Amino acid sequence: MATNLTSSLRSTQVLRFVPVLSSLCVIIGVAWLLLLPLEDYSRKTYISENALLPGQVHTYFGGSEQNVFRAYRNEVSALGVNASVGGEMAEKIGGILTASGLKVGRQKYSYTAAGEEYHGENVYAVLQAPRGDATEAIVLCAAWINMDGLLNESGVALVLTLARYLKRWSLWSKDIIFLIASDSRAGPQAWVDAYHDMHSGAVSSLPLKSGAIQGVVVVDYPSVQSFDSLHIVYDGINGQLPNLDLINTAVRIASGQMGIRTTLQEMWQHDDKYADRLRTMLRGMMNQGLGHASGAHSSFIPYHIDAITLQAYGEGRHDETTLGRTVESLLRSLNNLLEHFHQSFFFYLLMANRRFVSIGTYLPSAMLIAVNFTFAAIGLWIETGRAKAKPIPLVSEKGEGETTTLLQDGFEASPQIVERVERPMLLPLAFIIGVHSLGFIPLYLFNNLDEKNFTPVFYAFTIANVFLPPLLSTLFTLTFHPTATHFRLIKCFSLLTLGMFLSALATLNFSLSFMIGLCSVPFTFIRPFPQTRWSAGLFSLLLLQGLTPTSALVAIAYYWGESVSGILKEAAFGWVVWGMWTQVFVWCVWWPTWIVVGVLACASWSLEEEDEKEKEEGLYVKKLL
Amino acid sequence: MRLPSPLRPAGSLLCLLSLAAAALAVGPGKHSSYAENLLLKTLPGNSVLASFRFVSNGTFDNHHSIFPRSLAQILHASRTKELHLKFTLGRWDASQWGSQIWDGRTAGGTGVELWAWVEASSDAEANARWTTLNNALSGLFCASLNFIDSTRTIRPVMSFQPDGHHSDDALARLHLLHGTLPREPVCTENLTPFLKLLPCKGKAGISSLLDGHKLFDAQWQSMSIDVTPVCEGEGEGEGETERCQLQMVQTVDMVLDVERSLRKKDSVIPKPPPIEHMACDPDKFYAGGDSCFPLDHVSDLPWSLSGMFGRPIRGSCPLARVPGVEPVHVCASVPDERPIFASAGGQERRQGDNLRCFVLEENQDFDIILPLQSPPLPLPLTAPPLHASRSFTGHGQEHGGVQAVLHNPSLDRAVDFVYLESLPWFMKPYLHTFSAALTDAPPTHPKIVQEIYYRPALDRRRGTQLEVRMRVPPNATAIVTYDFAKAVLRYTEYPPDANRGFDIAPAIISVLSRENDGSYRTTFSVRTTSLLLSLPTPDFSMPYNVIILTSTVMALAFGSIFNLLVRRLVGAHETGGLGLLGRVRERVAEVVARLGRRGKEKVL
Repeated sequence: MATNLTSSLRSTQVLRFVPVLSSLCVIIGVAWLLLLPLEDYSRKTYISENALLPGQVHTYFGGSEQNVFRAYRNEVSALGVNASVGGEMAEKIGGILTASGLKVGRQKYSYTAAGEEYHGENVYAVLQAPRGDATEAIVLCAAWINMDGLLNESGVALVLTLARYLKRWSLWSKDIIFLIASDSRAGPQAWVDAYHDMHSGAVSSLPLKSGAIQGVVVVDYPSVQSFDSLHIVYDGINGQLPNLDLINTAVRIASGQMGIRTTLQEMWQHDDKYADRLRTMLRGMMNQGLGHASGAHSSFIPYHIDAITLQAYGEGRHDETTLGRTVESLLRSLNNLLEHFHQSFFFYLLMANRRFVSIGTYLPSAMLIAVNFTFAAIGLWIETGRAKAKPIPLVSEKGEGETTTLLQDGFEASPQIVERVERPMLLPLAFIIGVHSLGFIPLYLFNNLDEKNFTPVFYAFTIANVFLPPLLSTLFTLTFHPTATHFRLIKCFSLLTLGMFLSALATLNFSLSFMIGLCSVPFTFIRPFPQTRWSAGLFSLLLLQGLTPTSALVAIAYYWGESVSGILKEAAFGWVVWGMWTQVFVWCVWWPTWIVVGVLACASWSLEEEDEKEKEEGLYVKKLL
Repeated sequence: MRLPSPLRPAGSLLCLLSLAAAALAVGPGKHSSYAENLLLKTLPGNSVLASFRFVSNGTFDNHHSIFPRSLAQILHASRTKELHLKFTLGRWDASQWGSQIWDGRTAGGTGVELWAWVEASSDAEANARWTTLNNALSGLFCASLNFIDSTRTIRPVMSFQPDGHHSDDALARLHLLHGTLPREPVCTENLTPFLKLLPCKGKAGISSLLDGHKLFDAQWQSMSIDVTPVCEGEGEGEGETERCQLQMVQTVDMVLDVERSLRKKDSVIPKPPPIEHMACDPDKFYAGGDSCFPLDHVSDLPWSLSGMFGRPIRGSCPLARVPGVEPVHVCASVPDERPIFASAGGQERRQGDNLRCFVLEENQDFDIILPLQSPPLPLPLTAPPLHASRSFTGHGQEHGGVQAVLHNPSLDRAVDFVYLESLPWFMKPYLHTFSAALTDAPPTHPKIVQEIYYRPALDRRRGTQLEVRMRVPPNATAIVTYDFAKAVLRYTEYPPDANRGFDIAPAIISVLSRENDGSYRTTFSVRTTSLLLSLPTPDFSMPYNVIILTSTVMALAFGSIFNLLVRRLVGAHETGGLGLLGRVRERVAEVVARLGRRGKEKVL
């Protein structure tokens, strides 16, 4: 029985189902994701950590604090948007914070990325909890310039007013750090790096520290108008997310206690139906997959500090008092925490402000896509291990009894010999390693070039990218005269690597794994077509041109309405400042696999005498069993 | 052997010298004696330091001594010759409040700190007596002192010297043991036994002000008990022990926030004040409209004893008298320009610059009132000999680092000190990564580390002890760093409470002065804040889930296997309800079958 099973696994019949299995995996994987926004597959959010008690406290911010707020806003707008670079901002804001009776520290930083220098000066103040032991802290942050490059006028003023107001309370169990970051992108990163003493040379150390940071709330309120809804931004660097409890607490306080509508992922209108849920989820996946910072809070998340940005959006009936009270209530909830955020979820996809799916539900979709490559690779491996089945059994020295007959569909098939072929491993492995190490060239180029060179280099690279697979293919075939088995093994190893990387990545950054996986799906089906079917080869080559990382880059640039060089600059900045590793996967995993598959597609023209060659190499045929 | 009087204030508190001298002049007379004193000092930022000090002398054997018998018995049973017990809450803010009162000698690190010189002939015996002492004190002070086990005990070598008078051969038998509980929350249950040790028990005298609600609302608060032997007479004459007494100094120091204490009267909640009550800056370009740039600290707020402590002093304690010395009960260290109004029941005695003292009368309430002072008076601030701060570096659950920043603010004097770390065993420092260097010092600068004493940890048996003697030149900052690995604990080793992390005891920095004979003595103590170490933590609900899941699987498996083993499966027609004929037919069939089987067996 067992012999029958293993031999039938080795038979060509099973191999025919491998592409079917792979396509099934992909189809189910995509369908799985599309099912998630349905009522039955997603869950309503809930507060898992009971200590948070969201919205259970009275808030008192308001009254004369509003007059103080207006004064501080005047101070902020008088300084202007450029004040943070030279240090006037730190000087002035530091003075205001000192006058409120807080300890103030300042920090200068400077980064160089894509040939441009980013520098500024952060200023922060520590409100030492009365009777506190300086072991824990909460950060309330406002960046001087928000992600859109606007002066965060009301946000900074609100943090300054709150600093003065919260100082009067004696109930704090944790220190509160009020951080006015010089900008939203480099400033918070410099600060949090220095807080953990992980900073590089051009970033100065912090003169003043407190305990372990338990939570971060960033306020972004650039207008002087009253606002309509609160946009909660939560994506961290490399697709890491803050604890879902923090988002739930913010949503519950804002909408439940304060009556502010909350929105996610720039979905300003949300009817909580399938289409809007799907769109929210896909936007979230896009941000997660790209792994860039989405606000000043993003830099904290890699340090396992849960952080969100509260962004005032639109024009409506809520003013700074309501936002101030929301922040006050949120800080009171964080203050209640007995332990670091650990309940609830760290891996989730949000599809409405009170609806989510957790990793257990969504992970299979990316895993299925990743596993399709592994299945295809296993199929190729089995295929290359077999010689062509010969109808007449060879008689061994031991006699005819040793030959194995195969049973197919219950009927006795014509006697076949199962033979094992020694696989030519060296050439395919060397080729794969070679192509994968090529990936370091674009990785280095695009992370270290100056911004002004990005556009020409990118176009040169795109053109080179079109001609690289045919060129490599020609060179490879002319130099090494590879057989079809070689190509099969190359594809096998390539898909195996891809499947392995993607399934590992799916647990870290689901969305990136899903997106790369989806773009790579045709890789499973593209193989060197015989010369007679050159049109299939040509078609696959054309299809591949649409699925290269360079076209993905152009598509992302189009999606964001940015120039390609802008995207590359952002990526280089992310690499240097944030420690973003999206590009490692793009250039060192996805791109080399693409090249390999491109070479295979081009090999269609060079594989005319496949059968003859194989016959010549029949020397390796060895009898099995 | 005559040692300097314990806890004598150094030059930093010269103005208080006379006062302290009066308090400590309680010599070991024939009778036991008792003195108490309250020092009030205004601090920058509208804070007031209140330092209560109670000094009682007595012997072990005297039944009518003021020295509390409960404590004396514990000390006697555990052969403890000198004891220092500190309960501290919050942190002293040296940059705002200046040098710590009593040179930092009365305050411990956050939580509970205990060190004692125990007489014993061997280490094992010392440990046993130390355990006895901890357990007894734990009961006496309602604190978890019994948790100071071998993993939390160290034997400091350089940081501490005995304060009391011990003869040389007694010193040779004394073992110094030191333990800390950084996580211990100090609260009223510790205050009550503390007050019970006083002769007037909080009913009269300055101790009548000590109320748990006010004490534990302070910004920083410390209670300490120092028991030292005090001997009379010079030199080492015979029979000296007979003239020795135990001196117990109990101290309660706290820093009160005047603004908060005042607010408590009207409303506990710090609601925003009405705009009319706000001081706004009229010079701003937008002033006058609905904007108000607040002017903070425009005046020294008024305060009174009854306002801050909720009640006045209930007269002096009748037992607080020392023969031949006029007692001073309450002193206020306030700039001379600021008026102090005292109620009846006390007579003012001016003791020196910026120091006014009062002698209280018995059974008469006493209160002092300081009116509003606008503009605020500048307060002289004494810088401590050393500023210290300590923090963790790095992140993650596997490794970490510690960084201590030690700054010598003096412009002309180098400072010698011992930096003592007592680390739990699960925080394993790498000594090779230890570095102590001055910021921006030339590479030719001599090494600042002069001596290191290191006792490595043993897993689950003892913690790490690291003592480093250093010398920081004037106006320089030294940075001490080392890396450590985090151990993985067994799941039963996690405390049963919510897992906030593990508190690492504050580093103890003892500033030294060189004696004539070349030895060092501690003159000032600084404690850093404690640290919160997060270790890889299992999800504690997980074992519970696993237990439930396995139990379910076990129950299912057992149930079905048991069913299969013991249940006999019969056809529906074989069960009862067949009627008489059916049953007879069944019986016949059974008998036939049995016979048939027997026949077969026989054949076999």
